[in-house]
Formats: sequence, structure tokens, C-alpha cells
Amino acid sequence: MTLLTIAWLTLPLFIGFSSYLLPRAGRFLALGVALVSFAYSLWTLLATPSLTLSLLDNFGVTLMVDAFSGFFILTNALVTAAVVFYCWQQNRSKFFYTPAIILHGCVNAIFVCADLISLYVALEVIGIAAFLLIAYPRSDRTIWVGLRYLFVSNTAMLFYLLGAALVYQQTQSFAFTALQDVSSNALGLLFIGLLTKGGIFVSGLWLPLTHSESEAPVSAMLSGVVVKTGIFPLARWALMFPEIDPIVRLFGVGTALLGVGYAVFEKDAKRMLAFHTVSQLGFVLAAPEVGGFYALTHGLVKSALFLITGNLSSRNLKVLRHEPLPRSLWIALAIASFSISGFPLLSGFGAKVLTMKNLLPWQVIGMNIAALGTAISFAKFIFLPSRSEVKASVKPGFWVAMALLIGGLFLANVVYYEAYSLTNIIKPLATIALGWLAYVLIFRQVKLKISHLVEQFDHLIGAMSLILLLLFGMVLA
Amino acid sequence: MLFLLALGCGPQPSIYLAAAAPVQLPQSILEACVFATVLIGFVGIIWKRNLLMKTLAMDVMSTGVIAFYVLVAARGGIFTPIATEKANVAYADPVPQAVILTAIVIGFSIQALMLVGVMKLSRNNPTLDTHEIERSHTP
Repeated sequence: MTLLTIAWLTLPLFIGFSSYLLPRAGRFLALGVALVSFAYSLWTLLATPSLTLSLLDNFGVTLMVDAFSGFFILTNALVTAAVVFYCWQQNRSKFFYTPAIILHGCVNAIFVCADLISLYVALEVIGIAAFLLIAYPRSDRTIWVGLRYLFVSNTAMLFYLLGAALVYQQTQSFAFTALQDVSSNALGLLFIGLLTKGGIFVSGLWLPLTHSESEAPVSAMLSGVVVKTGIFPLARWALMFPEIDPIVRLFGVGTALLGVGYAVFEKDAKRMLAFHTVSQLGFVLAAPEVGGFYALTHGLVKSALFLITGNLSSRNLKVLRHEPLPRSLWIALAIASFSISGFPLLSGFGAKVLTMKNLLPWQVIGMNIAALGTAISFAKFIFLPSRSEVKASVKPGFWVAMALLIGGLFLANVVYYEAYSLTNIIKPLATIALGWLAYVLIFRQVKLKISHLVEQFDHLIGAMSLILLLLFGMVLA
Repeated sequence: MLFLLALGCGPQPSIYLAAAAPVQLPQSILEACVFATVLIGFVGIIWKRNLLMKTLAMDVMSTGVIAFYVLVAARGGIFTPIATEKANVAYADPVPQAVILTAIVIGFSIQALMLVGVMKLSRNNPTLDTHEIERSHTP
């Protein structure tokens, strides 16, 4: 099994670099890599191995594979495959597929690594690959958005590196297990890196601009899997150490409320989706033990939504309200919106019930408000007008991607079929009804526009120091 | 990079310093200097308005972080850890050095990538003022 794991882990890197030499085969190679990951993730989920590998020596690379990583790897495989299908007929060059394959490989590496330095290397390479994907159109705006992303992520990773050095100084080890008895400073510095990279709470406010200004397939990958690389280690640590668990849960609730607070007032479709990502990551962190399933559901739904909004006539929801959508696009949009609101028959329902069940008492109120906010924000999509006469001008690849993602939503439903009890079904339905009511009566009329001031570059960097202080305070307390 | 020399952990300086019996500063003073470098770099990223200067400030910050790894490695001794028949001396810890080597490579490739981005942006924004660039590229 060791050999298989290592082969699967290194395959995307070899293929990624050789795809430069075979520019015409880029899409086939990318699809192949995604399929291999898909097979591997099914193996981890069905055979549920608990594999811990220590490569080279005591100070070498440590890997840890279990069912928790399986969900994340499956998300990565499905989202990558869907994005490749979406781009199939778009004649994208090797400068798109090569970073995409390498990004896929490094995201996989995050989900199995169990030491601080492998994590650092993989996160940094993800930053580079994501920058190249964001800047693929080579326009000034995309280059600026990409630079801003790279700047924020690299500064955060420098703090992380400092934290890793402190861990080594105190324990003579970089393995996750060494975090057992490290000082609060070390933990705070590691956290700031991962919180920023994962788009959590105030340190995640770089995310809306980056995800909304990228092209649709890139946004789908960024929102679907890349941000999960930041929160995966946090969830993993929360599961390993009871002292870290409450901090992670608290940030989960905080980011769920912050993201949804922005999302309900947002009038731009892509920005709303991006803010909503900030909020949904909170659901993963709020109940780390079941976070894997939630991450899978969210990855499928959010990438589907980003691919759909990329094909709408406008990004402005006010404009869309007066221009009927093609019926077929609207149906896809509605199914995805229903799933994310937690409607039964779709896997969003099971994920939400499972998360709500595993909350601690003090989290319940916050997370229910966040769930209500989700229903309100997605009512904006569901209530859009549509007409069957309007023809959708989308490539066939788009429908293959949709079939994969939305089909995945229906299939993943069986993972937690025990959720279907009467009380479990009534609660989300009531939440959705309440959300729609609030949308129709209040939020559709509200003209409030939240300022973008805190999303300015200098403030993003400055906020890092504030969160760092907050973290030091929290860990000390 | 000055710190690397001051700490005497590169292959050549360590031999040189060992021969000259250097005056060793206490660990805490070096540590304070290293953290000051990180902080100066961080503040520079916020205060400098020019995108190029911001990039350089980030480099200062990463120099501080690198120096900290070298300092951590030098706690047990400052001899370059190369296996020879020499007598038992206080070797520097090779693990943080190996790790930071990787991080230096990653850091400089990111720096290079960012400078390419800055060059591209400078065509249409010759002043490279971040506030201006931001204003024209925020929807």
C-alpha cells in the first residue's frame, strides 16, 4: 500500500511537468490524473485503511491516510474532473493544464501529509500554481488579483514557517504529533498561516475578490478544493488534540456568521458565492469530526455554482431579475441552491444534519443563524425568472461537468441515509421556508451596500497582525 | 543574508569562525534581532506604497525567518554538520538547515514570480502605486 500511495502522490507532479512537452494532450492527462485520484479516494473510503508512513527517517516526510482524508481527496478528484470537462472544448493551452495538474497533485499531498514542513511546501506550491491559473488570461486585472493573492498567502506562510521553527525548537520534531505540548506562540503563528490560506474569518477577506475575479473554472477549483487545503490541517489537529478543538470550533462559528452576513447583502452573484464559501468553511470547522463529508458536499455544490454563474448573461443579480434565464440553466442552478440550503434528497441535507448533530451546545445558535443566512442568500438564485424559450449558449462539456457534480450530490446522499427521520426533515424545511420568507419580505428590498474597505490590500496584511494578537490571547486563555 | 554570516553557519564561515574563536553573542540578543527583522519586513509590506518596495519588504521578512532557522540550528553548536573523521565537536543541527534550504528555494521562486507580475503591471501603471492599481482593478 505504501508504494501505491507514493505512486499516486507523485504521479501528478511527473505528469504535470511532462504535459509541457505534450501540449496537445493536456486535457487528457489532467483527466487521467483526476481519475487516478478518484480510484484512490474510493479505496480509502471503502477499505478505510489507517496508514501512517514515515519516509526516509525520523525527520523525513510523514504521511497519514484515513477515511477523513478520503472525503477531501474525492472532492479534489471530482472537482478537477468537472473543470477539465468544462474546459474540454475551450482550446486552453498547456499554461492552463500544467498548473492545474500540479495544483491537483499538491492539494492531494495536503490531504495526506502529517508533518509541518511537507504541509508548508505543498501549500506554497499551491500558491504558485493558483497564481498561474488566476493570471492565465494575462490581463492587468487578473495579474493584480493573482499578485494580491500570492502576497497575502506568502506573508501568512512566513508566519507559519516561524511557528514551525518554534515547534522544532521546543520538541525537536516537525510531525503533527509534536504539537501536543508546544507553546502558545508557536500554535498562534501556525494558525495564522492556515487561517489565512483557508480563508477563515477576518483573515479570509482576501477570498471574495480573488474568487470572483478569476475565470469560472478557476474559481470553481479555488472555491471547491484549494481553500480546503488551509482548513484540512486545522480540522486534523482539532481531531488529534482536545486543547485545539474549541479554538477551531470557535473560528468555525465566527467565519460561518461573518461570511453569511456579507453574503445576504451582496448583489453580485460571484461575490456572493465567494462570501458564501467563507461561511461554508465554517461549517466544516464547526464540527471537525464530520467535516470531511461537509467538505465534499460543499466542494461539489460550489464548483457547480461557479461554473453556472460563469454562463449567466450578467453577474449583477438585479439585472438578472429582469432577464429570464434559460430554463435548463435555471434547473441546474436551483438544484445546487437547494442542496446547499440543506433540502432533503440532496447530499447537502445529510451533511447539514450530520454537522448540526455534532455541534457543541454553545455553537448551536450561531450555526442555525448561519444556516438561515444560507437559505436567504440562495433564495436570490431560486427566485430568478426563467423561460424555456431562451436557449442556453453553453458547450456540451458544461453539461458533462454538471452531470458529474450534481449527480455526485444525489449519490453522496446515501452516505448518511440515517438522516431521513421526520424531525430531521422538518427542521431544514422550516429553515428554508423562513429564509425565503425573510428574502421576499426584507432582503429583496434592502439597498444596503457593505463597504469593500476591509478588502483593501494593506488592510488584509494589517488584519493579520490583529488576528495574531487575538490568537495569542485565545491560546493563552 | 547578513544574519547568516553573523551566525556563522554557512559552510565556510563556520570553519573560519571556529579558527578565529569568535565572540558569541547571547542567544537572546540574536533572537531579538531576528524577530526585529521579521517585524520590520512586515511593517514595510504595509507602509510602502510602491509594489516593488512591498515585494522587497517581504524579502526582508523572509530573511528574518530564514535567520531564525539558522539560529535554531546553531543552538547546540556552530560546526557545519559534515561527516568526517574529525574529533567530536559541537555540530549545528542539520534538520532545520535542510528544511530552510527548501524554504529558501520556494521563497525565491515566489519572489521571482511576483517580480515578473510587477514588471507586467508596470507597463500600464508606471508608478506601481498600489492604491492606484487597486482603485482601477476593484469592481
